[in-house]
Amino acid sequence: MASEIEKGTKYIPEMAQTEIDDLNKSIKTASLKVIEDNIERMKKAWKNRPQAMEYFDEISNLFGKRQEEIKQQKTAGKKVVGYSCIFAPIEMILAADAIPVRVGSGWYDTAKLGDRIMPVEICPVIRSTVGAKMVSLSPFLELSDAIVMPLTCDGRTKLSEILADYKPIWHMNPPRVKDDPHTLGMWKQEIMVIKEKIEKLTGNKITRKNLKEAIEKMQQATKAFRRLQDLRKGNPVINGRDAMLVNQTSLWDDVERWTQKVNELCDELEKRVEQKEHSTYPDTPRVMLTGTPMIWPDSWKVPNLIEESNPQGLVVVDEQCSGDRILYDPVGVDEWTMSDMLDAISERYLMACTCPCFTSEHGNEDRINWIIDRIKEYKVDGVIYYVVRGCILYAMEYQRIKRVLDKMNIPVYYLDTEYTREDVGQMKTRVEAFLEMLEARMDI
Amino acid sequence: MTNNNEKTEYWRWLEYKKVMPNKDWKKAKIITAGVDVGSVGSKAVIMLDGEIYAWSVMRTGSNSSDSAKKALGWAMEDTGLTLEDFHYIVGTGYGRVNVPMANRAITEIACHAKGANYIWGPTVRTVLDVGGQDVKAIKIDENGKVVSFLMNDKCAAGTGRGMEVIADLLKIPIEDVGKESLRVNEEPEPVSSTCVVFAKTEAVGLLRKGWTKEKVIAAYVRAMAIRMSDLIEKVGCEKDFVITGGQSKNIGIVKRVENILGVKRLPVPNLKETGLDPVSAGAIGAALFAKALYEKSLKQ
Repeated sequence: MASEIEKGTKYIPEMAQTEIDDLNKSIKTASLKVIEDNIERMKKAWKNRPQAMEYFDEISNLFGKRQEEIKQQKTAGKKVVGYSCIFAPIEMILAADAIPVRVGSGWYDTAKLGDRIMPVEICPVIRSTVGAKMVSLSPFLELSDAIVMPLTCDGRTKLSEILADYKPIWHMNPPRVKDDPHTLGMWKQEIMVIKEKIEKLTGNKITRKNLKEAIEKMQQATKAFRRLQDLRKGNPVINGRDAMLVNQTSLWDDVERWTQKVNELCDELEKRVEQKEHSTYPDTPRVMLTGTPMIWPDSWKVPNLIEESNPQGLVVVDEQCSGDRILYDPVGVDEWTMSDMLDAISERYLMACTCPCFTSEHGNEDRINWIIDRIKEYKVDGVIYYVVRGCILYAMEYQRIKRVLDKMNIPVYYLDTEYTREDVGQMKTRVEAFLEMLEARMDI
Repeated sequence: MTNNNEKTEYWRWLEYKKVMPNKDWKKAKIITAGVDVGSVGSKAVIMLDGEIYAWSVMRTGSNSSDSAKKALGWAMEDTGLTLEDFHYIVGTGYGRVNVPMANRAITEIACHAKGANYIWGPTVRTVLDVGGQDVKAIKIDENGKVVSFLMNDKCAAGTGRGMEVIADLLKIPIEDVGKESLRVNEEPEPVSSTCVVFAKTEAVGLLRKGWTKEKVIAAYVRAMAIRMSDLIEKVGCEKDFVITGGQSKNIGIVKRVENILGVKRLPVPNLKETGLDPVSAGAIGAALFAKALYEKSLKQ
């Protein structure tokens, strides 16, 4: 099977090692500054930030402790399974005693590098991931022994080819229609293929026992996550940015430790509810974020703008695969048989997902309903619909969702941007004007 | 060959100011100001109990905070007012956070909405604000509150700065750009690129092709008008419709937007008599917000 492509015609042209090293060093230095700056800003916004947040600040350092920990575990023989999106069945990775890490990139600087290879029309999440690969920037991507790549959008589909030049890529085909009778069966087949691949890579069989344990671990994580989410429904005891960071660190942290730390945070926050100790004014306009994944650290541009604006906004909930969607749904098992557990995993990763890659005769109903429910539960005053240029599926779904929200009399603002820092001034005006509008509505 | 430096600056537009002769600020209960530091123009409006007393419109310099000081200083000139006399000042516009004497900053979107409501009254529903570096289509309610809005992306296409570049290129004084652009018998194809840099290149190409200056400027202005109309149509054009910002004076833009949308804007009031200047709508709105905020602070 000696195709022309196998002779080394990679997507990414060869670069001199010195150039790779220089770029890696300068981008990493810049990124560490962004991480530090984001955390400083979060601290500044909330003088009495809970002690439990310190843990998440530390884990948020993509080049820090967690990277070292995974390296050590790898040396001790563990395998690392990366995944590009949350269709990847984490429970199975855990069951085989491998380490799951998400590998999508939130670095603006590497998007510029990706421009050397990809046209600028391509979604920057993809260009940024390509750029990160060019200079081996992403610790988790580099540490991955294989990458699960669900083919949800065109960008990710082609990204998988680019990454396949470096890593074993395990494709998954999520059906685009959920409610056809045969689609769940198709998806279960995909899950079964991944199961075999994980077993082969790790040399560990996924058994009834270890899968049950993994499911229970993730259920605990979901429980902790929901506990934190519940705290965001009332008067503000945590800022949106902090909750978003907590949620996002679950994508690369050790899940059991993460769960414990979230529970510790919730213990602190529950006390604050009792003592009415708020993270910001209770009448701050309550904002929901939806749209393109907002990936740490550079994409904190948006929540920073919202929560540092005058008038200030508070992100109370999001509908993003980089946030509240990660852990909202547990795998629900009736009988702890292998077959039931696999069915439950298949259902959880397909049916509960509100990704705009889905469609039906009535549009992407699940996403719309999810948004409507959260608006009511979290008493949302306005929705910011965030889209990066080139993110076709989210951009297209906007009109339908806007119409639904218009009927509910919930203002929605389409905030389109790029992986760049240069538009911050202009975005600030847009975000502030939207928040002024929400504030003026609340005055009535 | 010597060139008179003044004459070569075709982009340079006139600055203006006025103090209403029959008003006495010493009799006013609440003295407020709105300072709108835009990317091209800085505008200051002083209000006595919510009525316009003095105003100034001048070019923004390289430093926002200096521009704010200069604009307000110019409006205050010969009035005897000092900064201590103001009860509340609101900064707005691109440089709103750098207005040193402001008690608070409010976006130009909210301020133009409020200002349009003040200038033309409660029937205004759609405001097109064409500034130096961006275009905003704003829907407002009868109280001048923003209902929804859209803003163009980061480039300066279709805005005051773009007009300045083209005026310089074609050697047409900026005040005449609109008028000149209407001196064509039929509308030319709009320039294909709305990016200022590309449009400039394209305009040079058209001149070489033998197009007249009027035709080239018409092609440019038309492209900008189409772009603005798209923005308004996206937000939904409801009557009454008004245009604010520096480009409200560009008759070439105004006529074309009206034609494309099939809606006439409300006429511009006699600003010399009243101070109701669409260019200063943002500063007017800011001065009104300043009054409301001051009154609110008294209640608390």
